[in-house]
Amino acid sequence: PTEPTRQRKEKQPFEIDFAPPLDPAVVDAIYTQASSNSAISLPKKDWKSKSRNLLPDDKHFSSKQLLSLFLKPKARMGRRRILGGSSWIGNADSQR
Amino acid sequence: AQVAAVFREAQRTTASHRKLAVTLRKLQEACCYGPTSTKKSAASAASDFSEDDFNAEFVRCVLRVMPIKKSEGVGEKTIRFIGLFLRHAVDKDNEAVGEPDEDASTMPETPGTRLTTLLIETILPLLAAKDKFVRYRSTQLISHIINSLDAIDDDLFQKLRSGLLKRIRDKEAMVRAQAVLGLGRLAGNPVEAEPESDNSDDAASGLLEKLVDVLQNDPSADVRRQLLVNLPILPTTLPFLLERARDQDAATRRAVYSRLLPALGDFRHLSLSMREKLLRWGLRDRDENVRKAAGRLFRERWIEDCAGTPPPAETGQPAEVSPPNLDALLELLERVDVLNSGGENGVALEAMRGFWEGRPDYREAMVFDDAFFETLSSESVFVVRTFNDFCRNEGDGKFESLAEDKLPEVTKVAFYLERYIKVLIDAIKRLEEQGVDEDEEGDTVEQEFIVEQLLHIALTLDYSDEVGRRKMFSLLRQTLSIPELPEDATKLTVAVLRDICAPDAAGEKEFCSIVLEAVADVHDTIVDDVPENDDESFHSARSEVSGDSTPTRGGKSKSPELSEEEAAAKAMKEILINMKCLHIVQCMLSNVSGDLQQNEHLVGMLNNLVVPAVRSHEAPVRERGLVCLGLCSLLDRSLAEENLTLFMHFFTKGHTALQITALHILTDILNVHGAQLLSSNPTLLKVYIKALRSGARHPEVQAAATVAASKLLLGRVVSDHEVSAELLKTLVIAHFEPASAGNQSVRQALNYFLPVFCYARPENQDLMRSVALDALHTLYNVREGFDDDDADIDDEMVSLTTIAACLVDWTDPRKCYSPAAAAPAGVGEKHVNADVHLNLARDILERLGGNVPKEEKKIIAALLGKLYVSPASSEHTTREVYAAVCEAVDGQLLSDATGRNALYKIHVSLGKIVNTLDAA
Repeated sequence: PTEPTRQRKEKQPFEIDFAPPLDPAVVDAIYTQASSNSAISLPKKDWKSKSRNLLPDDKHFSSKQLLSLFLKPKARMGRRRILGGSSWIGNADSQR
Repeated sequence: AQVAAVFREAQRTTASHRKLAVTLRKLQEACCYGPTSTKKSAASAASDFSEDDFNAEFVRCVLRVMPIKKSEGVGEKTIRFIGLFLRHAVDKDNEAVGEPDEDASTMPETPGTRLTTLLIETILPLLAAKDKFVRYRSTQLISHIINSLDAIDDDLFQKLRSGLLKRIRDKEAMVRAQAVLGLGRLAGNPVEAEPESDNSDDAASGLLEKLVDVLQNDPSADVRRQLLVNLPILPTTLPFLLERARDQDAATRRAVYSRLLPALGDFRHLSLSMREKLLRWGLRDRDENVRKAAGRLFRERWIEDCAGTPPPAETGQPAEVSPPNLDALLELLERVDVLNSGGENGVALEAMRGFWEGRPDYREAMVFDDAFFETLSSESVFVVRTFNDFCRNEGDGKFESLAEDKLPEVTKVAFYLERYIKVLIDAIKRLEEQGVDEDEEGDTVEQEFIVEQLLHIALTLDYSDEVGRRKMFSLLRQTLSIPELPEDATKLTVAVLRDICAPDAAGEKEFCSIVLEAVADVHDTIVDDVPENDDESFHSARSEVSGDSTPTRGGKSKSPELSEEEAAAKAMKEILINMKCLHIVQCMLSNVSGDLQQNEHLVGMLNNLVVPAVRSHEAPVRERGLVCLGLCSLLDRSLAEENLTLFMHFFTKGHTALQITALHILTDILNVHGAQLLSSNPTLLKVYIKALRSGARHPEVQAAATVAASKLLLGRVVSDHEVSAELLKTLVIAHFEPASAGNQSVRQALNYFLPVFCYARPENQDLMRSVALDALHTLYNVREGFDDDDADIDDEMVSLTTIAACLVDWTDPRKCYSPAAAAPAGVGEKHVNADVHLNLARDILERLGGNVPKEEKKIIAALLGKLYVSPASSEHTTREVYAAVCEAVDGQLLSDATGRNALYKIHVSLGKIVNTLDAA
């Protein structure tokens, strides 16, 4: 059954034309086998992933750690150098 | 012909597939069974053709699809249609021949199976085609057929299996993804591998093993994700599937939470530790979408499992949401082990924040009445604590009133708190008297948890109500005097007390005075108890000659000398009480910010408690004293100066934990009192540098030092150029050197810090510029130090080219924050002063003229082409650097082509700017 029913649409979206016989070039593409299995395979070194593609443990580092004191995590480091003189750490204030 | 027409329709939309399959089936029947129905013209026309004709035409059409690119939707639609039709055809055939015999070893031959066989035989060789799209489509088709059909002829099955197995190692990820799709189904259905049933289990499990291997190792996230949702969930595969919750790819991690886990059914089948891990990983993921999916899983699915609705529909969506159910919520919390996961860094806090956020129905339904508070368990107290936290902290105060409505007033909270504290203390005392009993111990853990949660609520209350305030105040003051009060509860008690006192200086004094009163009470127990205790232990030791249950902790039953045992017990008790007092003081000090000398309570405490502790011969006492002294030093500059050497001494001589404490103290002191202390103590810098380089032996110390040095640099505590340059260089090296590859704390901290630091201010960028080439040189030597055949170096250290690119990026002036750039910029691109990159260019040229290894020269020369050059740079620098560049060009400084091109590039771009300057 190779009766050519031609139905040309305004091929804006790509469509497969099933009717005509296969183009030799396409036949070629379909039936040409790969020269060897390795030519179409992943190189063996990529078969294994050292990390198993997993993330390392997250340490959740954030600006908070850089902006607070070690011994008084609730107190923010003050802008003491700008204010000068007496040490000033907003602690009681930041608790409220 | 008509077959082709059907295919043509089928590629357009999947909506008509059912209808088209029926049409095509009629054609097939007409061809195969002769003219059974001549009513339809289509069928009668087709009846001229045989089954072979139909099959040939069908296959011809299918082949049409094979070369279609992946991006074309028509390909997939057609393939889906093919699957649907085959399924339909086989079903119809089976209807015609009657129910297939379940035990039959071979399947009945029908037009449907013959077509399937022909099709598969035709497509199979294409799996190894040279063209990648042919491989893609053929694999897709095969996998799709497998997923459409219930049963396949055994010979065919073996062929399919081996064909697909080869494709899981295809070099194209899209092909592997399709192969895995079909094999996942095969692996899930070992029955299909019969008839050699002894063999089939092996075959199926071998297949599973291979697929699990791909799941872990495939470089493409798409392939891994495809497997994640298609592998059968079995006891053997589940651990590997769940492991993907930490996949490198965010979409894959998300699929664990949004697809795998909902499909898994009841979460209670997972182990307790797995539930906790999944929750923690998901809710703290770096990707927001993963966090959202995990949050939804918890508050929609897991709660539903506890609320007891029938299993959800296949879609993974619950059929209907159960009404709020406190018991279900309590069970859910029990199932995530809230006693452990509800601690201060526990994930249950985040889980519940999301729960209250996403479940307004539960929010509304909660009733926290007397009955609720009278029978608190760790789960129920956690419900009310997190509910309270949510209402107070989220939604910009719009839930405040909800908390006010539902929670009892301050006086009542104090009343319940008192009650549970009593229960806790009684339990602890009983435990001390009776010795260790596991049930009892578990009970105190729960009681302790309850008290802590109530204290957390107390931290958020409004103490403007005087009656409630007084009640809470005196309760906590008394509580603090109890030597048995556990440390965490102590810490919270002190924090609430600070909160109740006024925030001003007078309030702080009041706070200190009452805390120190409590410390005195605790301390007095040594004096009070010991004489009595002397007697008691004398008697008890006497009466229990066998002595296996002596209550004194230091007691040795064998000890012949009673007085020695007595003394040991007394000394032990003294140490414990001292430790307890120091702990209270430490908690207090971390809530104090005023000047030490202005507060006579603190001066007294320092001299009478802290200083003696630091001099103690008992290491634990000494170390805790050290922390207190550090905290005091933050409140008094001269105290800090006097003791700087002491703290450094502890760093040099101490064990790892003590070194870290010393680093923390020193860094806080510098942060509070400024850099002069650092510049006047050259050995102090050495402490930091030493700590930063201690990675190999003490990774934790290196991690602490990394954060410490980052703080000093970012807070501009270090003002001296030499010092900051030395610190920064050390950090850059630590970031890249292989020695820190396994130290995630260091790597991640620097990963965050270095760009933040550089982009914060132009001065920082220039500092980075000034150390960049030195750091690169050091890293070059580090890399050279490794053997060439040491393959691991690539895993542990990125290439020097990558490092160099990082350095250029960090010094890129366009990325730097500047107040001017933050202001609404004019139209078009704005030029930024690029002096920092010009200076880097000059540094590079200097090095190129100097005595550095050839390979290193190559790497840095290439950077010349990547620098940002702009007319907004200062004229002086531009001209100077241009002159240097010209000299390099004239003197043929560079021999390699890449380097020369980079040099020419900057020569040309600078030349243009200089010409404009000349013209002006």
